[in-house]
Amino acid sequence: MSRWVSTMVWLLVLVAFAALGSITDDERLMTLAIQTFIFAALASSWNVLGGFAGQVSLGHAAFFGLGALITRELWLGEMALPLAIVIALAVTAAVAAAVGLPMLRFRGIYFSVGTLALGVAVWITAGNVWPGISSLPADALREYEFTGPYYVALGVVAVVVAVSMWLKRSKLGLGMMAVREDEEAASATGVSALAYKMIAFVISAVLAALAGAAFAFFSVSYYPQFPFSVVWTFEAITIVFVGGVGTIVGPLVGSVFFVVGRDMLSSTFPEIQVLTFGVLFIVVVLLLPGGFVEAGQRLFKLVSRGGADQKAKTGIRPGEREGKEKT
Amino acid sequence: MTRHKLWVLLAVIALIIAACGGNEDTSDTTGAATSTTEGVTETTEGATATTGAPMEAPEAVYFGAVVPQTGAFAGGGAQVVRGYTYAVDAINEAGGVYVEEFDATLPIELILRDDESDPNKTTSVMEELAGENIAVYLGGFGSPVHAAGTAVAEKNQIPYLGVATALQALHEQGYQYYFSPFPKSPDIAVSVYEMLNGLLPEGERPLRVGIFQETTDWGEELGALWVEEAANHGYEVVLHEKYAPGSEDFTDIILAAQAADVEALFSLPTPPDGFNIYKQMGELGWKPPFSLVVRAADVPTWNDLGDAGDGAMLSAGWHWALGFEGIDAINERHIAEEGRPADPIVGGSYALVQIVVDAIGRAGTLDHQALRDAIAATDMDTVVGPITFREDGTAPIENPLMQRQAGSVVLVWPVVEGEGAGDILYPAN
Repeated sequence: MSRWVSTMVWLLVLVAFAALGSITDDERLMTLAIQTFIFAALASSWNVLGGFAGQVSLGHAAFFGLGALITRELWLGEMALPLAIVIALAVTAAVAAAVGLPMLRFRGIYFSVGTLALGVAVWITAGNVWPGISSLPADALREYEFTGPYYVALGVVAVVVAVSMWLKRSKLGLGMMAVREDEEAASATGVSALAYKMIAFVISAVLAALAGAAFAFFSVSYYPQFPFSVVWTFEAITIVFVGGVGTIVGPLVGSVFFVVGRDMLSSTFPEIQVLTFGVLFIVVVLLLPGGFVEAGQRLFKLVSRGGADQKAKTGIRPGEREGKEKT
Repeated sequence: MTRHKLWVLLAVIALIIAACGGNEDTSDTTGAATSTTEGVTETTEGATATTGAPMEAPEAVYFGAVVPQTGAFAGGGAQVVRGYTYAVDAINEAGGVYVEEFDATLPIELILRDDESDPNKTTSVMEELAGENIAVYLGGFGSPVHAAGTAVAEKNQIPYLGVATALQALHEQGYQYYFSPFPKSPDIAVSVYEMLNGLLPEGERPLRVGIFQETTDWGEELGALWVEEAANHGYEVVLHEKYAPGSEDFTDIILAAQAADVEALFSLPTPPDGFNIYKQMGELGWKPPFSLVVRAADVPTWNDLGDAGDGAMLSAGWHWALGFEGIDAINERHIAEEGRPADPIVGGSYALVQIVVDAIGRAGTLDHQALRDAIAATDMDTVVGPITFREDGTAPIENPLMQRQAGSVVLVWPVVEGEGAGDILYPAN
């Protein structure tokens, strides 16, 4: 698919979702859509570090929580939402840079365990420092509309996808992928592995904070500790692997599968929804190691090959016969 | 500017336009929806006025209950479920609830959902329930889940009633749809000192107070009030330790309390922290003469602590020995099914259903606003005593204090005569 066609497709999807927000007032649909956008943004942000740069962070929720916390506090403190988000992203970038420098000196499993320890420590600390629930003021609750959070979440996921697309096509992204494939080989060819990992870490953290900001704007009530929970990290990883790690579309498809699947399971099999989803996840990962994206590509190739074989045998493509017969 | 960048710019502009348009459309849609609703109301009124026929009745009056049935609050949640179930069964056995707008007596159907003791799950489950034509929300167990749930109720403008939450701060948010006939932190903070002064002669009172405060919103609220009220009642706080809920090792703070010669230990642990604290106190061979754990001892498994847990005081909002009308029937069923008299939270939960049924009877409708107004105007006798509501949704209600004595929960304050009540076991060590 050419770059121009690809851009057009993305634009159409974006406009379609933007239109959806203005034509429906179905609160359940809006809620599911917003949750999907937030998960898609969070998963895509993890994908920058884990999928592009190959660094499996298990402490990603710390940045999601930080973005949510700062945005929420400033916004409820009467600051304009865009400014609150910008400050949250700036602080997150600074924190990520400070944390990333020592963390990224670890490699492989040591990096993963180190980030997990950091994530858990931040999670517990957040609960101790901010024990009170954060709810919207009573007047705001009674006037709450889903439209604003819907467009903010849609805008956030659009930004995250745009950044991911740019990264994947840029020299910077190529450097990250070189580090992912073979850090030693990349270093030997002049790629500064630590620098690329640092940049991926900071970009990934900032995008996670952006997803957190959307969460903070959407949620009517939650304990500030909640977005710091390591569960967010594991859910993001689940989504990425189910959808297709290292791809742009994968986290988006995975988030739809995750949110809709979870919603269906919670209403049909509430007692075993976690177990059911866990088994489903294992099955998908075992049978489709490249996630839904790879499955789609395989299917496409299969269909294309079938068409090519048929053309070689008959001289016409599938469907052409019917078309000719019809005409 | 390249064509590609131009497309990106156009996308951003499209999004902004859609967002602005969306807001306008939504306002219109909301307005239209409101108009439609009004239209429906007008039509209905018109129809009623013209034909005199009542509206078509639903199959039942639905109460949406979100209660922890798994997780940390499952033990308390089970009591809440029993209270709701007993009350709904009693109402339905008596014929149901008459709703004037339908000119029909309808059964009550309890739509029960588990929030897994997770406040964040509470909000999502409550949002789901909002689409199921419920008349009211009935809350679960524990301040965190109520704190999350009340905001959703306020957003959806559906009345919310809850017990097993003492968080006063929730009533200071300006919420209009939240009602809780249950003792709050200020009641608990005062009543424990009043009880000690009322039951124990001067010179024998445990004047050296120690506080184990969990780092939660309710912990901060009640911890501060215990400190504040201590001086007002002649007590001294000699130890004030904080811990994170879910901690597993309390040795440090127990030893600190022992070293500070604490005579009265106040705590408000989330399950299973309370159990662990007392277990470790037993292992360390220390037990203060007086200890209050608010609701932690309100589980049957507390008996497994043996001597270590005996004498622990509870502030759980209700006791069957209070003798209000209707308690006998609750107790009879509870004994038959659970093998013991009614647990404390069963009474409060039962009373919530009584309050809603009374409000529906007076409102004559299931309309949320009318129902909310009727609940606010409640003035009735329930199994937890007479109930009226203040502006903030709290109710002036007595805070009974109970004590674990040889495996039973005994009412020690207020002093009443009869089965289930008794003298305080003091010193408990």
